Amino acid sequence: MVTQIIAGLKNFFVFNSSLSTSEGDELEKILYYYPISDNTDVQIKNVGLVEGIIHFTETFRPSSSVSSVHTEKSRQLYYQPEKGYWMVMTIQLNHITKEKLEGDSGELGDDVQDNVYEAVLKQAYHMYRLFWGTFQGTKDTDTLKMTLEIFYRAYLQSLKLVNADILNIFSGIQYLPLDKQTFLKVQCFINSLESNYMMISHSAFLYNDYLIWSGIEPSDMQLVYHYLIDTLLPANIETELQGGSMPRNSPSPFAALRHGRFITGPSNLRLAKTVGKVPKVFFYGEQKPEEYYLVVYRALSATVCLFVKVETELTLNIFKDLDDFISPKLISLVSDIAEYCSKQVITPNMADNSPRFIYFNKMNLAYKSTVHLDNKQSGNVACMKDSVRIMADMKLNNSYLGSSGETIVKTMSDYWVVGKTSNAREFYIALQQKNASLIDISEEVRKLCETELKGIFFHST
Amino acid sequence: MEEKLEENSDDTHHLQLSVTPIRFEAVNQLTNVFFDDSNKDVFAVRSGGIMGVVVKNANEDISPLNFIMEDHGTVLSIKFSLDHKILAVQRSNNSVEFMNFIDNTLETEYSQCCKKNSNILGFVWSHLNEVAFITDHGIELYMVIPEKRTLKHLKTTSSTVQWFVWCSANKIALLASAHGSQLLPVYIKQGTINKFSKLETEPGRMALERDVTLATLYGVPAVLILRHQSGPGTAEVHIHTLSGLGQAPVKSHVLRLGLSGRFAINVVDDVVLVHHQASRSSLIFDTALTGESDGTVRYHTPIAPAKSFRPVKLVLPGLTEQQTHICELYSPNWVVFQPNIVIDAKLGCLWHISLCLTELCNQICDFGVCTQVALNRTNGKNVLLDLLLKTSKQEKLPLDKFQVSFNHINNVYRSWMESELQSNTASPPNIPIPPKSQITPRVLIDQNDIYNEMLQKLDPEKDLRKTEWLLTSYLTSLSEYNIPVQHILSELLVTTLARQKKITALQQLLQYGVISDSKQMACLLLSLGNMHPAATQMALDMLTRINALEEIQEILLSEGQVLAALKIADCNANPRKFLSIAEKYSDKTLFHSVLIHFKNNPQFASAFQKDERLVNFVQQYNTLFDEK
Repeated sequence: MVTQIIAGLKNFFVFNSSLSTSEGDELEKILYYYPISDNTDVQIKNVGLVEGIIHFTETFRPSSSVSSVHTEKSRQLYYQPEKGYWMVMTIQLNHITKEKLEGDSGELGDDVQDNVYEAVLKQAYHMYRLFWGTFQGTKDTDTLKMTLEIFYRAYLQSLKLVNADILNIFSGIQYLPLDKQTFLKVQCFINSLESNYMMISHSAFLYNDYLIWSGIEPSDMQLVYHYLIDTLLPANIETELQGGSMPRNSPSPFAALRHGRFITGPSNLRLAKTVGKVPKVFFYGEQKPEEYYLVVYRALSATVCLFVKVETELTLNIFKDLDDFISPKLISLVSDIAEYCSKQVITPNMADNSPRFIYFNKMNLAYKSTVHLDNKQSGNVACMKDSVRIMADMKLNNSYLGSSGETIVKTMSDYWVVGKTSNAREFYIALQQKNASLIDISEEVRKLCETELKGIFFHST
Repeated sequence: MEEKLEENSDDTHHLQLSVTPIRFEAVNQLTNVFFDDSNKDVFAVRSGGIMGVVVKNANEDISPLNFIMEDHGTVLSIKFSLDHKILAVQRSNNSVEFMNFIDNTLETEYSQCCKKNSNILGFVWSHLNEVAFITDHGIELYMVIPEKRTLKHLKTTSSTVQWFVWCSANKIALLASAHGSQLLPVYIKQGTINKFSKLETEPGRMALERDVTLATLYGVPAVLILRHQSGPGTAEVHIHTLSGLGQAPVKSHVLRLGLSGRFAINVVDDVVLVHHQASRSSLIFDTALTGESDGTVRYHTPIAPAKSFRPVKLVLPGLTEQQTHICELYSPNWVVFQPNIVIDAKLGCLWHISLCLTELCNQICDFGVCTQVALNRTNGKNVLLDLLLKTSKQEKLPLDKFQVSFNHINNVYRSWMESELQSNTASPPNIPIPPKSQITPRVLIDQNDIYNEMLQKLDPEKDLRKTEWLLTSYLTSLSEYNIPVQHILSELLVTTLARQKKITALQQLLQYGVISDSKQMACLLLSLGNMHPAATQMALDMLTRINALEEIQEILLSEGQVLAALKIADCNANPRKFLSIAEKYSDKTLFHSVLIHFKNNPQFASAFQKDERLVNFVQQYNTLFDEK
């Protein structure tokens, strides 16, 4: 039996064929190429090959273009986000041959799933677009090359190809379970903030890694959410822990913690001379694209994102004013949230063989997973990786089920994987039960649906 | 008309005197004027009564009395009994004369002396036919028997008295001795006299009669003592409340006047008015406000800047044309009586003071305080609703203040709901229904009021965001007080969000249970489903929570999810309906599944034999699948 192991990112490039018309200036069409260790000849050759494949396959199926090419040693994924612009990601594969079992044909198992890595590639585009806007919308090709370079140099470093799975396809948002009253308090805080500062068009409120409130479209929020959770907040928590941003001479180290601060914009308001760099974000969820400043404020475990109208002139005084407004309110609010959370019964330490599930709602992009033990894409999962892979395969075939349906798979290792869809939601369950019958499994799933999907319409039988 | 205009243009006065005062003959060489604050009668006694006595009541509707009384010496005090059937006149310091008053004429006098060696300081009608003499040795209580023209002694209480103050509303007399440093409240009930404990004041601190006022504040009898500070300090009013007979009077409020000089006190609609003569302005205090507290005593500052009364004019008939006389406000000739009477004896006018609540509220800058003030006033509802609307139309919404305001409003709303609930449920059938809740709040603003008087009056186009904010704020407050939200409010929230295309926000509000479940609401969400698919999901979820299976079934059928609907319907399904829908889709498998589902279910077996149309479906099936 042969297993594919992802060895890493072989290359990643963005090109637009229309940028080069004559022979000899092929380099012109390459907008971004990774790694820089590939010399221009290699770059031109690789891009040319992809162009060839795309062109060739179009003959057979003009309606939808090619999305991936499988070879023994690599997997190449194509994505055309904007007309003429192609993004290509090539993953290097290694093979480990385990002892051949009787009857095993030696065929490759599909360990590297196209739909998962397509999602990774698409996310790479959308993240870029979030901060820099569309490729087409960029002023000129040189600027585009520069911004792509700036963005992807860092972004590709943070890619976690090995542990990508069904969650990358969902790219969902985790919501914090909260009671009505506390939620309303958050809502009132947001409203009072937005009514006081007309420059703030929308805002979002997170507690730890969970979203409580978002005023923007889910498709935009999911990107902002992942930027915060995967990049901005972890980096900040690190500096918080190192004490980098805390005044060392402060009489009480907690005094600083009791106060919030901006993590985009001036982080230390007392010492700041300028507002610092405030990133801009582009939203495409509404009918027309919108551009905002992204101001992120953090106090204790809460993060407040303010989407500020881009025509606002951000001054140090505005930040100071905002800080005075937000800080006292936020701190009392956070203690309310923390109090509620601490009162909640923490999910009892699940037994290793208890059913694990992943839930996803297409309508608000909410997800919940008891399969993953953290949300850092560390590959730390509570069931066989095979099961998680099966879920992604089920996801691929969901379209055949119509608006509601169910798929059940039993693995060689006595794992059962159940995938259910209904009412625009998806629910995947992995159970380990030896010698179980289909009826036993159905019963288990029904019980799980009853406890986990209470209060929503979902076919449980 | 002219007057009206003037009133509108001038909105800084928060106190006014009645437009048409009660007029009486002014004090002059011949005429003496007396006021009895038990009956609110003004007596104009001409030449000791021989030239006539005219009695006008503060209530305009009571017609004046006019009679002649023999002159037996200088009148010190004159008061009718509470039913105006006996007139009592004090002309010396040891006796009071009584006259039965029948058909506008007085009968012969009969007299009652006080105990020997006592001096009558004054007398009060404490009950219908009971009169109490307050002497320097205490109180003597008598019953008048008009038929026999005698008085019967009922009770005597001894106590040293230098002066006293009487509160007819509460039947409480405050007896002062040791130059007012000892103050003893006494309750004169029918036939009996009960003493309270002495007022606890700073030892040796004296008080003058004119500095002590008895009044009722929020239903509780209270003694208000004006305390002048020696030196540069400013004056204060100390309020001692008399909650009940067994309970000792408690000094519970201090009003900080911030001024010094001559003051007079009135109580209007439970706010304390302190008139300051030197500055010709009045300070307003509301003891219901929290104020600054040291645990027992609450310290209050005026709720609004000190303002003068709205100017008043008198229209006097002239020889050729009417003359207007502008009355002097805060005149040295003014005497105030409780609760809200001002008398100018030189001018011959009696006015009632009333509060201009709208103007007062305009003067209070804190919206939260303003809400509390309006909530406690008898005619506060419209003023408060206007205020809410006015504030909500401001460019920049003070949302935090609205939150405070809504909480005050809903605090009252909640307690009212609770008392309603109690009076409607808890009484067993054999016990008579208790009197309809006596604690109906002065101002009750419920969800309909907020909806109709505020939210509906905002611009439905421009103020969408405002409506959303205010509504959320109001709902938060309702939730804080555990008040169930009415459908109209939830509906407004949903439509307000939908019109702004804020479906994400709507999703989150539903997710966190802010919008309560109902079939009505689910239908509304469903109607949004065409534009926003997420709304259909929310509607289905809501119907699931309220277990409306039939509706869910219909939705699924309308979406072509026949099998899903069949699962929901289970045994209650109508085979004909499902089969005919399945037939329409010209999907063989679907038709098969539906038919087999019903055929294999014994419950429908008989139906398949009886109902001809069902038999048709079976035949159709057989031809479709070529089965025998």
